[in-house]
Amino acid sequence: MFLDPESRWAQRLNLFLFLLPALTIYIVFAIYPTISVVEYSFTDWDGISPERSFVGLANYERLFTDKIFWAAFRNTFVWSAVIIVINVGLGLVIAAMLARVWKARLLMQTCIVLPVVISPMAVATIWRWMYQPTGVINQVLEGVGLGGLATPWLGSPDAVLYALAVAHSWSTIGLSVVIFLAGLQAVDENLYEAAHVDGANAFQAFRHVTLPALRPVTAVVFILTLTQSFKVFDIVWATTQGGPVRFSEILSTYMYKRGALENQYGYGSAIGVALLVIVSLATVIYMQIQSKEDR
Amino acid sequence: MGRWLLLFVLGVIAILMVSPLILTVFTSFKPTTELVNPPWAPPVSLTFEHYVRVWTEAGFSRYFFNTLVISTVDAVVMIVIASLAAYAMVFMEFRGKLVLRVLFLIGLMIPVTAIVLPLFQIVRGFGLVNAHLGVIFADLALAVSIFVFMFSSYFVGVPKELHDAARIDGATEFQIYRRVVMPIATPAVVTTALLEFLWSWNDLLLRLLLLTRDEMRTLSVGLLNFQGTMTRDVTGLSSGTVIMAIPVVALFLFFQRHFVRGMTAGAVK
Repeated sequence: MFLDPESRWAQRLNLFLFLLPALTIYIVFAIYPTISVVEYSFTDWDGISPERSFVGLANYERLFTDKIFWAAFRNTFVWSAVIIVINVGLGLVIAAMLARVWKARLLMQTCIVLPVVISPMAVATIWRWMYQPTGVINQVLEGVGLGGLATPWLGSPDAVLYALAVAHSWSTIGLSVVIFLAGLQAVDENLYEAAHVDGANAFQAFRHVTLPALRPVTAVVFILTLTQSFKVFDIVWATTQGGPVRFSEILSTYMYKRGALENQYGYGSAIGVALLVIVSLATVIYMQIQSKEDR
Repeated sequence: MGRWLLLFVLGVIAILMVSPLILTVFTSFKPTTELVNPPWAPPVSLTFEHYVRVWTEAGFSRYFFNTLVISTVDAVVMIVIASLAAYAMVFMEFRGKLVLRVLFLIGLMIPVTAIVLPLFQIVRGFGLVNAHLGVIFADLALAVSIFVFMFSSYFVGVPKELHDAARIDGATEFQIYRRVVMPIATPAVVTTALLEFLWSWNDLLLRLLLLTRDEMRTLSVGLLNFQGTMTRDVTGLSSGTVIMAIPVVALFLFFQRHFVRGMTAGAVK
C-alpha cells in the first residue's frame, strides 16, 4: 500500500468507494426523478420535443377542475378504504385465530401468506378469469343459491372497484396477518390468564386484552396498507386499465394514461406530484408511529 | 369459541386463500375438451401441451430467462451496494452523515408510480430503454434505501471491540467489511436477496415503460401482452401464470421464515 491506512486521504478514499455505488445510482435514478417530476409539473412538456415552456401553476389549476382527476382521486380513496377494512379488520381476526390454534398452524399460515409472493400481474390474470361472467365466482354463487348476486364483476360500474380491491386484498392480507402475529406474540400471556380467571370468554378476552395491546401495531398496519394501496398500478392496469369508462380509474392509472400514453408530461407529472405528496405524508406518519414504538 | 370450531374456520379460510392458485394449476393441466367441467374439477387426464405451447410459441422461455437475469443481477448487486453504503454509515466518521441519512430516508417515501415519467426520460437519456441495465438501475435506486437501513440495523449490533481489534491487526476497511462484518450480517444478506429478487421478479410498471421490444420483455409484460392478444386462451393464460409463479412460490416455501421477517422489516416499500 502506498497510502498509510490511517491517513486522512486514505480514509476519504475509503468512504468514497464504499458510498459511491449506492449513492450514485440512488441519486441519479431516484432523487433526480423526484425533483424532476416537480419541475415537469410546472411545464407544458410533451415528453419528446426539446422545448418546454414554464406554465406556472396551470397544470395544477387544470387538476382542480378536471372531473376525471377527482373521480380517480375519489376512487383511490374508496379503493384504499375497502382494502384497509379487509386487511386491517380481517387480517387482525385471522392473526388472532392463528395465534390461538395448536394444530397445523404453520400449514394454515403458509396458505394464508402464500399469495403475498404472487406477482400483481399474475394476480390480475387469475382474478380476471375468476370474475368472468361465466367464471368460477358466479358459478359458486349460483351453486349456493345466490345466483341473484352474480354479475360481470369487472364490467360492472358498481362492482368493479370493489372486485379489484378484493383481488388486491387477497394478495396482500398475508402481510397484515404476519405483522399482527408478531404483535400478538408480544402480548403478555398473564393478561389472558387473568381474564380467564375473571370469567371472560374468548371474545371478551379478545375485546379487552388483545385489542388494546395491539393498538400500536394496528396503527402501523393501517398506515402501511394505506400507502401500499395508494401506490398500486399493476393490478388495475392489467385487469381493467381503469375501465369500464372511468369506474376503476385510480391516480396511478390516470397519470400513466395522460403522461406515458398521451405524452402530456407536464400534466401527468402534476398528478404524480399529488400522489407523491399523499404517500409521503402517510409514510412520515408511519415512521413516526414506528419510531415511537421502538423507544 | 371451541377449539375445533376455530380450527375449522381457519381451515376454511386457508383453503379459500389457496384455491385461486389451485384452480389455476388445475386449468393449466386440463385438455381443452375438459374445459366444460367446472373450474374446481381436477383434470381427468393431465396434459403438458399448454405449457409447451406457451413456453415455445408464446415466447415465455425468453421472458423467463430475461426475468431471471434481471432479478438475479438486482439481488446480487443490491447486497453489495447496500451493505457497502451501510458499512460507511455505521463505521466511518464523516461530515454530512446526518444529511445522508435523511437523503436515504426520503427514499423510503418515494412511490415508484409517482416518478415513473421522469425516470423514463432519464433512462432514455442514458440510451438504456430496451436494455436490461436500465431496468436494473431503476430497481436498485428505488429500493436501495430500505436495504441500507436493513444492513445498518445489523451492523450496529457488531461489537465495537471486534471492529477495533481487526483495525489494530492492520486490516484495511475492506478486509474488515469482508471478513468481520459481513459474516455477522448473513441474515440481512439472505433477506435482501430474497426480497429484491421477489420485487424485481414481480414488477410490471417499470418493465412496461422501459422494455418495449419483445425480445427484451420480462414475464410480467409478456403475460400482460399474452392476455391482451389471447384473451380467451384460458389454458395458455393459466400455464403462463403458473410459470411466473413457480420460482417465487418455491423460494417462499423454502425460505418462509426469512421472507416473513423480511417482509415485516421491509414493509414500507
